[in-house]
Amino acid sequence: MTKNIWRRTDWPLILATAAIIIMSLVIIGSATHINTPSEERYWYVQRQGMFALVNVAIAFFLMNFDYKILQGYGNKLYIFNLILLLAVMIFGHSALGAQRWIMIGPISIQPSEFSKLIMIVSIAAILNDRVGKLNSLRDLLPVALYVGIPFILVLKQPDLGTSLVFMAIFFGMVFVSGINMKLLGGIFAAVIAAMPVLWHFLKDYQKMRIMVFMDPNVDPLGSGYHIIQSKIAIGSGMLYGKGLFAGTQSQLNFLPENHTDFIFAVVGEELGFVGVCFLLFLYLVVLLRGLQIARDAGDTFGRLLAVGITSMLAFHVLVNVGMTMGIMPVTGIPLPLMSYGVSSLTTNILSIAILLNIERRRQKLLF
Amino acid sequence: MGDLNDMFRKRLKMLSIVVILVIGTLVARAGYLQILEGDHYKELADGNRIRIVPSMAPRGTFYDRNGELLVTNRPGFTVSLVPLTAPISEDVIARVSELVNVPVEEIHDKIAAHSGFNPIRIKTDVTPDIVSIIEEQKDSYPGVTIEVQPIRDYIYNEAGAHMYGYVSEINDEELKKLKDEGYKSGDIIGKFGLEKVYDKELRGENGGEQVEVDVSGKPVKLIGRKPPVAGGDLILTVDSHIQAAAEKAVDEQLGMIGAQGAAAVVMNPQTGEILAMVSRPAFNPNLFSRGISTKDWNELNNNPYHPMDNKTISGEYPPGSTFKIVTGTAALTEGVVTPGEIIFDSGHHWIIPKGNADGEALGPIDFREALAHSDNVYFYEMGNRLGIDRLEKYARMFGLGERTGIDLPYEAKGLVANRRYKELNFEDGDWYLSETFDASIGQGFNLVTPLQAAMVMGEIAADGKRYQPHLVQRIIGPDGSVVKEFNPVLLSKVDAPDDVIQLVQAGLHDVTLYGTAAKVFKGFPIEIAGKTGTAENSQGRDHGWFVAYGPFDNPNVVVAVIVENGGYGSQSAVPIGRKILEAAFGLDQKPTGEADGKNKESN
Repeated sequence: MTKNIWRRTDWPLILATAAIIIMSLVIIGSATHINTPSEERYWYVQRQGMFALVNVAIAFFLMNFDYKILQGYGNKLYIFNLILLLAVMIFGHSALGAQRWIMIGPISIQPSEFSKLIMIVSIAAILNDRVGKLNSLRDLLPVALYVGIPFILVLKQPDLGTSLVFMAIFFGMVFVSGINMKLLGGIFAAVIAAMPVLWHFLKDYQKMRIMVFMDPNVDPLGSGYHIIQSKIAIGSGMLYGKGLFAGTQSQLNFLPENHTDFIFAVVGEELGFVGVCFLLFLYLVVLLRGLQIARDAGDTFGRLLAVGITSMLAFHVLVNVGMTMGIMPVTGIPLPLMSYGVSSLTTNILSIAILLNIERRRQKLLF
Repeated sequence: MGDLNDMFRKRLKMLSIVVILVIGTLVARAGYLQILEGDHYKELADGNRIRIVPSMAPRGTFYDRNGELLVTNRPGFTVSLVPLTAPISEDVIARVSELVNVPVEEIHDKIAAHSGFNPIRIKTDVTPDIVSIIEEQKDSYPGVTIEVQPIRDYIYNEAGAHMYGYVSEINDEELKKLKDEGYKSGDIIGKFGLEKVYDKELRGENGGEQVEVDVSGKPVKLIGRKPPVAGGDLILTVDSHIQAAAEKAVDEQLGMIGAQGAAAVVMNPQTGEILAMVSRPAFNPNLFSRGISTKDWNELNNNPYHPMDNKTISGEYPPGSTFKIVTGTAALTEGVVTPGEIIFDSGHHWIIPKGNADGEALGPIDFREALAHSDNVYFYEMGNRLGIDRLEKYARMFGLGERTGIDLPYEAKGLVANRRYKELNFEDGDWYLSETFDASIGQGFNLVTPLQAAMVMGEIAADGKRYQPHLVQRIIGPDGSVVKEFNPVLLSKVDAPDDVIQLVQAGLHDVTLYGTAAKVFKGFPIEIAGKTGTAENSQGRDHGWFVAYGPFDNPNVVVAVIVENGGYGSQSAVPIGRKILEAAFGLDQKPTGEADGKNKESN
């Protein structure tokens, strides 16, 4: 029995995930050790490592449950999500111009991270009965409204990044749900047409970020600074990198947020193109395994969950890594499993756990 | 169900392709940044973190001939901007502008003109309270640093300023010219005087520290250090005692007669060593060391008496009667007159009715009397007999009309009256006798610098030998070794028989015994040869001249003094000359009651 369970375990996914987490601990250590007083030098690494272990333990424990029970909680989780997001708006601790944190004791949590995963469950639940029936706007409208409300709340925080993640999850899931391609094309056309209108709803700093993305030299001291420094860090890593703990950009503080949003730049600087390719390969394994699990899933709900999770992770990787290399605007989206941050780490490990759960339960159908 | 499964497979396959494309794009982008553009970004990263903190070499100092310090350096604080990864913000510029009182536009200009990673100097020599404000409120002044820099210190301020010159930051034009010789933007360079001429010897070699800095510009690690090498010291020929006395004498006299411009040169005629050099009005070179303010600069530039000119070498004046030395030497050497020949001065010349200044008539006089009394009619006749061409030849033999080659910049040539000059510069190019007359008494086209006037007198003193005037004896390296020694350079010899020169010397001696300078030199304990002059000046009052040397038998000091618009040389320039000679012979240090009393009387 035990043997069977292990045979039905997706080793490539587990190994790739573990490798990313270990890499993350090393890089966080490198990024933070020099700027911290010596007694707290490894505070970030220890904290991230500890939470990784706790999360893995939780994930193990959750393996005993069937993910399918989540399906029944779709709407309840949805309501909880709305309350969570409203709580952030009301009690939120603002930082960097956005209200994103809630303090619970010594831990500051970022509800928008968890809300991504909750959204995936809720959307999977609501789409479960609609698979193959999304042929007209009228079919899609209930789903769109369902996603639209939390989307607006996140946008209002303001957290443009997370709201875009919602969009990515939504499109990934409706796409696999068999949405009519013409309808999908029409929606994309409408979104593009609505861009100029949306522009007015953006905060000034968000507009600046997008302008800076077009040309970092618009504001080299302000938001453009991050992009310029990050590109310098990555580019100067060249083929083999400057070596761990030896990245001048990162170690001398030129690189901002080097253990969180810009951690990829530290990888690029210290481990070079080789390290970058290795890390991106690990992500490719995770993502392709995610889609494979979706294909092999025993039920539609599991399939949708796996697609939602994979879409979320893929979008994070694309936007975060793209941002550090200057091909995506700065949006404050962390790099999954790499960036320092308890909320993000927990969300991502739980996501991987759900993928593993889906993979593990699929055989039941075959028996 | 089968349809649905097909759809799933198809769409998941499409998503897989999207995922592969996404990762592929990111890999491609990383490859572009790290492989193709890697060198470029590597350079930028190094530029980010490596700063050169220059340490300026102390400039060589100046000593007078007796080892007295004249020009040195003192430590000063300079407020600079360090170009970090990003431009200095407007807020900081505004704050710095207010703190050090430099206009914002000026700071912008300096930033715009700057390139590289060296600090941009905004204000030199700031007070300690500004230093402490910037040090204590470092967070309000990101990118602003305090450098400790040697500041040029001219101990005697205006005194000797025209010789020593001044220094300031190199400008674009100079940089373009001197880039190949290792000069860099931001270097302090000699702009005038000895500072300019001996800049290469004085500047030494700047050192610096290569440091790794963090994002706030704070040094975290020393990568390399190159200690600065001090410049060589100049041991001047100047005697600071004579210099001080000359400055004082000129100032007192100018104050008394209400004139503004003057120049005085003191030289050893046997070697060409300059002992003192005064030009009025003067400027304070310390203003430039601190970074001169626009107001001070405009004041200096708009002064109609040109304080920035060294009038001893760049002022060109009609030599007036001092030129009679040349005319007399020429006449005797060419044999157009004998020492004993008597010429009758009836008050004016018989061919052209030109005469003495006040129309006085000296009656029958010989060569020595004519020189002593500076008789115009006698020398008109000498000019008449010599002709302009021979007059020109002798003037050139004395070195007029060409630069002496003194080690100072911007020396003027002067002008020797000659036919070609008239032909080239005037519509009526014919030469007239009256012009020869004018030339023979140092008027008309003739122009000399005070240094040239001193040279002519010095050549007579040194029995015809013409030594190159110079200001530096030795250059001493930072290790104390002699880098360069300057020995007297004999330029030429006046081609006149010894007895002619001796006769001219005797005539000039008579000037202080019973001639035009006798009154002022009455009771002077050392025998002096002199010559007064009054140069007519079309622009205003006459310039007063006096040239002299002594002791008469063994001369080692020659003096030339001009007082612009001072009127008669005997009244304006001679008293200055006397005081300078007193100092040169150490007479002012002893309580020589008689001489002092006399001066007070004339005051």
